Amino acid sequence: MSTSTTPPSPTPRPAVADEAAHGRAIAAAPRGEPQSPLESSSRRTRWLVTLLIVLAMLWTLVPLAWMLLSSFKNRVDVTASTPQVFFTPTLDNYRNLFRGPNNLAPYILHSVLAAGISALLAVFLGALAGYGLARTQMRGKRHLAFWIISTRMAPIAAIVVPLFLIFRGLGLIDSIPGLVLAYLTFNLPFAIWLMSAFFAEVPSSLEESALVSGCSRWQAFYLVILPLTKSGLVTTFILCLVFAWNDYAFAVVFSGPNSQTLPIAASQLVTQTGIDWGQLTAIGTIVVVPMMLAGLAVRRWLVTGLTLGAVTGE
Amino acid sequence: MAGVLYEEATRVYPGSDRPAVDALDLDVHDGEFLVLVGPSGCGKSTSLRMLAGLERVDGGRIAIGDRDVTHLPPRDRDIAMVFQNYALYPHMSVADNMGFALRVMKAPREEIARRVREAARLLDLEEFLDRKPKALSGGQRQRVAMGRAIVREPKVFLMDEPLSNLDAKLRVQTRTQIAALQRRLGVTTVYVTHDQVEAMTMGDRVAVLKDGVLQQVDTPLHLYQHPANVFVADFIGSPSMNLAEYPVVADEAVLGELRVPLSRETLKALQDEGGDRVILGFRPEAVEVVGEGEPAGFPVTVTVVEELGSDAFLYGQYADTADPARLAQTVIARVDPADPPAKGERVRLRIQPGKERLFSAVTGRRLPT
Ligand SMILES: Nc1ncnc2c1ncn2[C@@H]1O[C@H](COP(=O)(O)OP(=O)(O)OP(=O)(O)O)[C@@H](O)[C@H]1O
Ligand SMILES: [Mg+2]
Repeated sequence: MSTSTTPPSPTPRPAVADEAAHGRAIAAAPRGEPQSPLESSSRRTRWLVTLLIVLAMLWTLVPLAWMLLSSFKNRVDVTASTPQVFFTPTLDNYRNLFRGPNNLAPYILHSVLAAGISALLAVFLGALAGYGLARTQMRGKRHLAFWIISTRMAPIAAIVVPLFLIFRGLGLIDSIPGLVLAYLTFNLPFAIWLMSAFFAEVPSSLEESALVSGCSRWQAFYLVILPLTKSGLVTTFILCLVFAWNDYAFAVVFSGPNSQTLPIAASQLVTQTGIDWGQLTAIGTIVVVPMMLAGLAVRRWLVTGLTLGAVTGE
Repeated sequence: MAGVLYEEATRVYPGSDRPAVDALDLDVHDGEFLVLVGPSGCGKSTSLRMLAGLERVDGGRIAIGDRDVTHLPPRDRDIAMVFQNYALYPHMSVADNMGFALRVMKAPREEIARRVREAARLLDLEEFLDRKPKALSGGQRQRVAMGRAIVREPKVFLMDEPLSNLDAKLRVQTRTQIAALQRRLGVTTVYVTHDQVEAMTMGDRVAVLKDGVLQQVDTPLHLYQHPANVFVADFIGSPSMNLAEYPVVADEAVLGELRVPLSRETLKALQDEGGDRVILGFRPEAVEVVGEGEPAGFPVTVTVVEELGSDAFLYGQYADTADPARLAQTVIARVDPADPPAKGERVRLRIQPGKERLFSAVTGRRLPT
């Protein structure tokens, strides 16, 4: 069968889960075993690996930690010329964000709606199309698969203008559906491609067995195939969600007062009269933390394999 | 209960100009255990999948019982299939795997539980019902796959090389169990294998396929004793039949000192096809060791002796010729295991009269005797 088509082996996962996994691996490493030359050299490698991981974590976590700290500082502390690690924390920055004419609440709502709905749609449609792509025997399947993923290769800047004209014609500018659609144009090819790799890993004899057992095609899909690709669904959802949640380029072009998202709100704090670092880091925290928590919550889905024990081969 | 009927059933895969299954005519009786056997790529799996509805039928028809199922989807055929890789659902427990078909049919919960328990008892799986497939051994997984088919209580069992992933010993055990189980349940079964020993030991009848074309359907014994053509003669039996082409001189097939008189019917058939050569075959056990003076015999130099305890087989080279083609042929003969000849020894063998099989050198078909 020609399943070599589509993407690489489906194990991408966000950095958050990655670090967690590494952390566990180290904790689980055996210790206190008898000495031997081999042992000591393997211990040296282990130290080296630990060191590299520590460096990588510093590289990743220090800026995040600094952002988090800064978001609790008052106007004086945050711009102090000697960086303040100990200070009196304040919630003023967060309070101010939700106060006044430029309340952050609608931005959050827009972000949740646009990113959430587009990621859900991308997973739903991507699963259906990816399943079809993984199972079809049609000629030119590889070209189709490549064409689908190639639509994702164009830089956002290249498609923003034509998309803008189309959206204006359809009245989709400054609307949540417009943003959802814009994110879909980018996420759907990726979702199809990723999901088809997951489906290709499920032996077709499983659904054939279901068909013979009395299932319709649709039943075979959701009773047998979907449960086996749960980790694929979660991975795809998170990756699509992160893209849409962090997006600035589409939002800055297509959104208006009725649909502006969190990254837009952050950019509006950079004004000609100055930058409010306290509020900016508070928004940054609001943007980053939910994605980190989501990654942590689902990491067991992101790192597991899928079809163990389905078939005879060990 | 129902039989299975293939009528001129044909499958041509897209992009291929040769049918994978070519006008298959096969009548499987109600309750029969029919084995489809043949070398790799001969279309066994395709034939089975056509019956399951997993492969399109491009010509002809297939019926289960009185019902034409040629274009029915798999779910409406009332069959159960055991796959080569078992295809167990990894996210379900053994019990759920076995009860899956009934759950899809919306059978009452108690009935599902009862039938799963019964099948589990039959297959010695009771203690594993709550386990996931990945926590089972290969043999246990195989039994779960069987159990899933049994619980369904279908009209026909379809099995595609269900034993090929087991080790040799377990395979022999399991094949007896499956055959016994089938006889007990009396469900019509179509069983695919490439192993002719499996075919001979399990089937009520055996259908031999080659290149998508049915060669012969018969009981194992009849297939062994009266192969319809050279292919079947060669494929069935282990060690295989001694087969070679012989010139016909007057009314005998002659090569070196080996002479086999041909009957009038055989000679007439040869004359009709205009051939002066014949393919002669004899089974290893149709040969006996004779004294040096025996005129009907032929000399053989022993190259290997295979001693199996209950049997011994001699592998040798014809010693009455300098023809390199003839020298390249191996003669296989069963000899007395209590007194086997030694390696390098020269012995005289004779084909027991009436045990030789004759085939056309033109068509490969059996000639009348
Ligand atoms: N999906 C397919 N597309 C094209 N050709 C196929 C396909 N499946 C099988 N074939 C071809 O059809 C022929 C019969 O295949 P089939 O799988 O029925 O053989 P088989 O007898 O089961 O062999 P094996 O013992 O190796 O399983 C082979 O020549 C094979 O290459
Ligand atoms: Mg096969």
